[in-house]
Amino acid sequence: MSRVWLLLHKDLRVLRRSPLLLGVLIVYPLVVAGLVGLVAAYGSSKPRVALVDEDHLPRVARVGGESFRIQDAIDEVGKNVHLVRMDPDEARRALATGRVVATLTVPPGFLADLKSGRQSPALTYQTTRGGISSRVTQQVQALVYALNRKLQAAYVRTDLGYVGLIVRGGTATFAGRTYNVLGLARMQKLVQQLPRSPQRDRIAEFGRIAGVALTQTGSLLGATANPIGLERAREASRSSLLSAQVQAYALALTITFLALLLAAGAIASERDENAIGRLARGLASMGQVVWAKVALAAVVALALGLVIALVFGVIVQFGNVVGGEPWARLPLLAVGLLLAGAALGALGSLLGALARDARSASLVAVLVVMPVVFLGLVPREVSPAAAWVSDALPFTHAVRYFASSLYDASPWRTVGSELLWLLGLGAVFGALARLATRRLLA
Amino acid sequence: MSDPLLRARGAARRFGAQVALEPTDLDVRSGEALALIGPNGAGKSTLLAILAGALEPSAGHVERVGGVRVGWVPQRPALYDRLTARENLELFARLEGDGAPVAAAQRLLARFDVPPDRPAHELSVGNRQRLNVALALLGEPRVLLLDEPTASLDPGQRRRLWEIVTALRDDGGAVVFVTQNLEELDLHADRVVAMQQGRVVPAGVEEVYS
Repeated sequence: MSRVWLLLHKDLRVLRRSPLLLGVLIVYPLVVAGLVGLVAAYGSSKPRVALVDEDHLPRVARVGGESFRIQDAIDEVGKNVHLVRMDPDEARRALATGRVVATLTVPPGFLADLKSGRQSPALTYQTTRGGISSRVTQQVQALVYALNRKLQAAYVRTDLGYVGLIVRGGTATFAGRTYNVLGLARMQKLVQQLPRSPQRDRIAEFGRIAGVALTQTGSLLGATANPIGLERAREASRSSLLSAQVQAYALALTITFLALLLAAGAIASERDENAIGRLARGLASMGQVVWAKVALAAVVALALGLVIALVFGVIVQFGNVVGGEPWARLPLLAVGLLLAGAALGALGSLLGALARDARSASLVAVLVVMPVVFLGLVPREVSPAAAWVSDALPFTHAVRYFASSLYDASPWRTVGSELLWLLGLGAVFGALARLATRRLLA
Repeated sequence: MSDPLLRARGAARRFGAQVALEPTDLDVRSGEALALIGPNGAGKSTLLAILAGALEPSAGHVERVGGVRVGWVPQRPALYDRLTARENLELFARLEGDGAPVAAAQRLLARFDVPPDRPAHELSVGNRQRLNVALALLGEPRVLLLDEPTASLDPGQRRRLWEIVTALRDDGGAVVFVTQNLEELDLHADRVVAMQQGRVVPAGVEEVYS
């Protein structure tokens, strides 16, 4: 153990003497984490959907007795979908080449059917297979739902106008003809002027009951159109940039980058400096050399991870961000940082031993970091294969551990299983790295 | 004949399909200075690294009789570039299990006159080689394995190195050195082993380099 400590102490001393390298290793992954966050936020909020208007909808359409500004309606309901107007051929090409993820077609006669109310017109929707199609389908369904709600509101208002006409009477235009409607109220007055008889009383009673019933119609029609409403409460959460998930990703990405590069570079430089031969003479076993690099990655991951958590916490604390920083969870986070750093250090040691010289090792580590991270960002439902591969790498488990240890009300189950994953992966990569150190002595 | 301190039996080394050293038997005896000679690529450095324990043989084995300590001066200095000469010596002294690493480092720094507090990568080629030799002397080795040790040393340092070698031999130790310098061969070698194409050959200096 003391030999591992001696080698670790040497590596930390060497690292301290390379402030530029250390600075780049810290800043670079934080910048990448920010960019990934921005790209992910953009990608998740605005999938492109082609809108094919074969009915040549007018700018303003009158439906259910109300005027609709079509573009305003599309703008309002299309907040989650970037609708792009295209002609049918262009939309077909765009869908085939993946420039849009779906097409939404307004067929000929759509508006006429909508205005007539004789039959419900349908929009035609076509999407790509797999990928984010299920999410886009949900968003297009939400778009149609929102349009329907606006139309329902208009129809309800029109229907209520007719009901009011029946109750109070007045002038109305229907199917191009103007009518003067007596209305129940005026009918009651006329009925009262008739000579009293059982028949007159029955008609008067009917008119009274009909009037009461029809005045209830407004709220009943509204309830029929929307049995359950959804109101958006006032914002009471963090901005997405300060969310738990972003913190977990930033931590995991930074320590992945650092641990892989440091361990790979450190073990390869033992060969570059020819010191590996001196060590191999019984001064330190190759297992101890690998342990020292794993420990280096773990210690640096712990130190840097805690600094990031501290900076994040200070921003949250002094920015009066809702939710607060879970300071009491930092010890639990520290355990995860150590183990994730160690598992990534073992993977880095493997890469460094295989690459043999420090320059190749650094290049290989940089090339490996990106797919490791991006595989961890692909949702399982989008690509199960990517998720399986990602499960065999420490990044995903680090993200889950960090998010759970910091923010879950009862994190123990997730934390326990992710710790086992990290331990197992660390042991496997460590054993492989130990085998690969033979190449360093060649 | 004195007792062997190091004993190689059938020691061989392959790098993939390439044979660097054919199975080789060699004894290094107490009090002797054994020179390994041969053209480039003959397998001298490979044999020396195997004797030092820096390289595992693909076949055969090397026995350190009585657990004798071995010091190794590789052709390319084996040290940490970003550590100073003092830090390198103290680190390797601790790894050797020296109970007084600071004193050991100080003693060797004075003996080899190496700038103590400059990072090794800032040292001249000669000073790096002096540090390389100093590192081999940590742990009081009884056998010294030197791979062209004087190639970048000035005459004064060469003389000091051979004085150390002589003292070691007089004390019952042994030295194995690789050299292309025929004068060193005449002056310091008790026994010469010639190598060609990865094997020990029964040849003299003229035949080996002809």
